[in-house]
Amino acid sequence: MVTREDVENIALLSKLFVPEEELDSLTQSMQEIINFADEINKADADEEGFDNINNLSNVFHEDEVVESYPVEEILKNAPEQAEDHFLVRNRE
Amino acid sequence: MKYELVSGFETHIELSTRTKIFCNCTTQFGGEPNTHCCPVCIGLPGTLPVLNREVVRYAIKAGLAVHGEIAEIAKMDRKNYCYPDLSKAYQISQLYAPLIIGGYVELSNGRRIRLHHIHIEEDAGKLIHQHGDTYVDYNRGGVPLIEIVSEPDIRSIDEAKEYVERLQQVMRYIGISDCKMQEGSMRCDVNISVRPEGSEKFGTRTEIKNMNSIANIAKAMEYEYDRQVDLIESGGKVIQETLRYDDATGTTSPMRSKEDAHDYRYFRDPDLVTINVPREEVERLRAELPELPMDKCRRYVNELEIPEKDALLLTKYRRISEYFDEAIKGVKSPKTVSNFIIGQMFRRTETESDKELFELATSPAQLNELVRLLDSGKIRNNLAKSTLEKMLDSGKGALEFISESDMGGVDENALLELCRKAIEGNPKAVEDYKNGKEKAIKSLVGNVMKNSRGKADAMAAEAKIKELIG
Repeated sequence: MVTREDVENIALLSKLFVPEEELDSLTQSMQEIINFADEINKADADEEGFDNINNLSNVFHEDEVVESYPVEEILKNAPEQAEDHFLVRNRE
Repeated sequence: MKYELVSGFETHIELSTRTKIFCNCTTQFGGEPNTHCCPVCIGLPGTLPVLNREVVRYAIKAGLAVHGEIAEIAKMDRKNYCYPDLSKAYQISQLYAPLIIGGYVELSNGRRIRLHHIHIEEDAGKLIHQHGDTYVDYNRGGVPLIEIVSEPDIRSIDEAKEYVERLQQVMRYIGISDCKMQEGSMRCDVNISVRPEGSEKFGTRTEIKNMNSIANIAKAMEYEYDRQVDLIESGGKVIQETLRYDDATGTTSPMRSKEDAHDYRYFRDPDLVTINVPREEVERLRAELPELPMDKCRRYVNELEIPEKDALLLTKYRRISEYFDEAIKGVKSPKTVSNFIIGQMFRRTETESDKELFELATSPAQLNELVRLLDSGKIRNNLAKSTLEKMLDSGKGALEFISESDMGGVDENALLELCRKAIEGNPKAVEDYKNGKEKAIKSLVGNVMKNSRGKADAMAAEAKIKELIG
């Protein structure tokens, strides 16, 4: 059973802002998604058939260095940063 | 009651490929924080990881070197846990179909530590904790690792130390990792339990995480063994838990449960396709492997008649063994070459990293030439020794220091003459020797050696002097 608190928590972890008035409808949507997943789980899927549906194997990259991104680009989406590091505040 | 230690290891080894496991960022150690990163290795949504071909090859080589079976089909799985060292909140690893199955590491006491499997995975980022906050550097995130999981076959701290040393040695030999524990390119999780001697049943185990030196592994295991035995003796029970070893206090303590979540909800990573390993590829990689240290050691003992103690020293580092292999070509006594390396050359390469590199002014071919002169009887051992010192100082060949007149040794008559002179010139030493001072003979022999410019045979000279003095 998905609760309003679950949705709030997931929103927090996903760094998403969810307005108060949308919480109920989102909780319901989330429950429907879970129900759908449960339905899929009922299907008998042996490892062989479903494991590699696109039939691809051995897709590799060669061991050659490509220049990395500038640190500013890397940190661009960080909620907080300090001294070129991602900063994770202690919430306790 | 006597207790037996039971231990198994999970050993993480960073592979020395040029690029990370799922992107083309460099794996170079260090660097300014977050400068070896891209959207893939910081786990941004919508990015697609693609496996590094070389990682598969390196891991197969590792597997072959420890007698493992290489899987025909391997897959990548997601291991879910939420901690800032993982940007994606999961680590791409292998659980259901690892690349290497089984294998073993043989110890010098003949015991084999069986391996459960070896899998490939990505390393996590580095966390710096400061004033309660955490600073994250993802340069190390996505660096390829192999994790070698042993069976609980280790029965003593000495075995544990040797197991780690052997792994380190063999992985360095095959060139897949530098295995520097102090830099974190090799780290061990140690599972440990105790049981009454003779008992078949395992006791409850604890796991000491992230050990980064062999010395600390030994200390932590000793502490943990004593702690568990004391606990059982006093009527308590060992709890299965994850521990941290504190180097400063020499004690273990439980990790917070947050860092010890065991429900990883593993599932197949849908981003990464199946790995098929053709048998021809395995054989090609097997052919690329150098002779492994244990095999080399056996060959030195059995075929070259090198004492085992010396053979172990010669094979500890790949470069030294290769130097030796090169220097013994065509010589009569490989033991002589071994003595020069372990004696005079080891004195010039004191540290572990010196021995690892084994960079000396004298080439294997130059040592070979010197030993051939000795073999053919053209020069004596002491002249060879002093010549080697000069060679090591200068990088020049033996013949730069040995003249024609030095060769050919000293014949019987000349030796007799030299001994007579030594006795006449040193009445004090002769007197001392006659009064029972055994050592006095050495100064007489020394005199002979000096006057023959090192050409005389010291043993023969000593015998001759004793004979003359009576």
